[in-house]
Amino acid sequence: MSDYSSSVSREQVVEAYLKALRLIDDRVTPFLGKVTTRVLVQGAAKRVSSTYPFLHFLIKMPYTEVVPAVMQEQLSGVSPAELSAALDALLQECFAGLKELTGDLIAPSIHEEVTRQLEQLQ
Amino acid sequence: MESSVQSQSRLTESAYRSSHLHNGDRIAAIREEMEYLNTIGKSFVAALDRFQVHRALLAALQELYSFAACSILLKGDPYELSIIPCYPLSQAFLAAMIERIASAASVMDFPPVPVKELAITSYLDAPDELSLTQEQHMIGGTKIGSFLNIPLTVENRIVGMLSLFDEHAGAFDSNLLKLTTMIADYAAVALENVRLRERETALWRQAEIGRQRLELIISSMAEGLLITNERGGITLLNLSAQHLLEQARVDLKPETPLRDLAVSSNVSWLPRLVEIIDKALKGETVMNQELIAGEAGESVPLILSISAAPLHDGNLSRSRPTGVVAVLNDVTANKQIEKLKDEFVSVVSHELRSPLTAIKGYTQHLVRRIERRLRKAQQAQLQQGRAITTVELPESYDLRSLSIVQSQADHLERLVNDLLDLSRVQWGKLHLHYSSFYLVDVLSESVRSVQASAEQHTIYLDIAVKDTGIVADKLRLSQVIGNILDNAIKYSPQGGLVTVRLERSHDGYLVSITDQGIGISPEYLDHIFERFYRVSNTASRQYSGIGLGLYVTKAIVEGHGGRIWVTNNEGLGCTFSFTVPVTGQLG
Repeated sequence: MSDYSSSVSREQVVEAYLKALRLIDDRVTPFLGKVTTRVLVQGAAKRVSSTYPFLHFLIKMPYTEVVPAVMQEQLSGVSPAELSAALDALLQECFAGLKELTGDLIAPSIHEEVTRQLEQLQ
Repeated sequence: MESSVQSQSRLTESAYRSSHLHNGDRIAAIREEMEYLNTIGKSFVAALDRFQVHRALLAALQELYSFAACSILLKGDPYELSIIPCYPLSQAFLAAMIERIASAASVMDFPPVPVKELAITSYLDAPDELSLTQEQHMIGGTKIGSFLNIPLTVENRIVGMLSLFDEHAGAFDSNLLKLTTMIADYAAVALENVRLRERETALWRQAEIGRQRLELIISSMAEGLLITNERGGITLLNLSAQHLLEQARVDLKPETPLRDLAVSSNVSWLPRLVEIIDKALKGETVMNQELIAGEAGESVPLILSISAAPLHDGNLSRSRPTGVVAVLNDVTANKQIEKLKDEFVSVVSHELRSPLTAIKGYTQHLVRRIERRLRKAQQAQLQQGRAITTVELPESYDLRSLSIVQSQADHLERLVNDLLDLSRVQWGKLHLHYSSFYLVDVLSESVRSVQASAEQHTIYLDIAVKDTGIVADKLRLSQVIGNILDNAIKYSPQGGLVTVRLERSHDGYLVSITDQGIGISPEYLDHIFERFYRVSNTASRQYSGIGLGLYVTKAIVEGHGGRIWVTNNEGLGCTFSFTVPVTGQLG
């Protein structure tokens, strides 16, 4: 996915991925409901938190309540490159989960849309 | 039943379906969809068990798709997996389904789903009609071509997962996904309703079994059980209680307050029962109250022992009980035995007294005669100019033997007197003979008498009042002080100080006798004044006695209108205290 490793700040990375998460929420919730979408993201966070422990807070906290200030607080000390990799892994897990549930019904189109959005924000 | 998806879904689904239609067609499509939702909603609402939910689900989904099977995985320990095939499935396909279900469940952060266990415990809920259509639709493939997993949510909780499978690719449509989620929501709520209904039924059955068991216990109890409502009206009488009250010739009408029954009835003991029940209705627990339920003049009247306790409706903080539970025991036989025992003790003690008096009299006579002989022998020795010695004379040995007989006869007399006093107390015939005297004189005399035979002990008399005048039964008070002092000496074998203190109390005099002996274990303190009660620990087993002294002592003190009690001292011995009024019941 997008490469934020060199030129952007942590704030910009956070903002870009929060937008991506909101986009997933916007697209998936109408199909599967709010609870399922929330659990999907939390499940993804759980799976990547072993590699990126600083994302552990997303397991307990619904992503809908995550605002930039919270992200900044939770992720202080994490480099933009590492953060970018972690959030990218989170998105990949979200899509893998969505695919596990609905096959190719909705995951590919949303994946494509999110990728496009992240590229625009780069 | 409304889920987060439904309200949005209806509109968007309708919008999708109708985007290319004209208005009339659009309205028709919406109507058709509403009718569809209404139909499936009704079938889910009407489902009374999970199999009916499965049927409703299958019917609703088959309206949307052509597929091989669907399944319901319900969270729990263990998981419950129901597989509902649309036509007969191969083992390989089933195994692939279960693998896929477990994988999807892990994505949804379900607790670990053991595939092997699911394969063993899963329930295949095949519709009956499958047996007829087996030939036409037997699935050939072993692989899953397409699938769809939708979590089942109830009130923002994921309770399970609905999965759909088919052997062909592209069996499911993204345009119908919202509608499918809506059906899953219906199914989730219907399954939750079924679960709650099953739980309710199980609880009800459990409660019913408990109720029947309790009823059986109550009806089988040898003790009578009586339960009243908050007004004192009887709401339950078990069989034993009915029999007991039939013997007492009383017809207790259900729910009628006992108080009213006592007023209208001429049954003499009912007011006493009402008194006991009323106490319990005020929140007091009443223990072992005896009630003579027989008629006057009966040779063996029915005697009941009643214990009653307040009933509270779970909330103990409520001030007023909602009723009373009382246990009735027929103690007539016990009372008869006690009566016979008392009569026996009374007769035996009277019969023992006569020969004892004779033994004491003749022993005294013999002692005097031997003493005379010894005096004569001494005089003879004196006249013969020899030194006086009586040690070798046989009379000296006789005298020692007789003094032992006298001492044992005195001991026996005290026992017999205790038994006689017991009988007097039992029959209410412990008469007190009042006279005026100074309490200090009685105390001094008792101390002097006991001190004479207690060389190891020092008995200290502490008089804290100037005027000790009293009107009481002098002999009996002397007996009280003597009994307590004897015990103080007996139970402090190592010797030590015994303090007798006399002081004024608000209701007369307070006498306290403190020793430094073995003391009394706290668990025995409440029983120490009961008749024939002896503390049965190792320390006290070596001391003789029949456990009547303190019983009689208490009766004498209470006969005077006083109180008696005992307390353990800090670390050493105990203190017996009693009060006695200054002016007794003269006349």
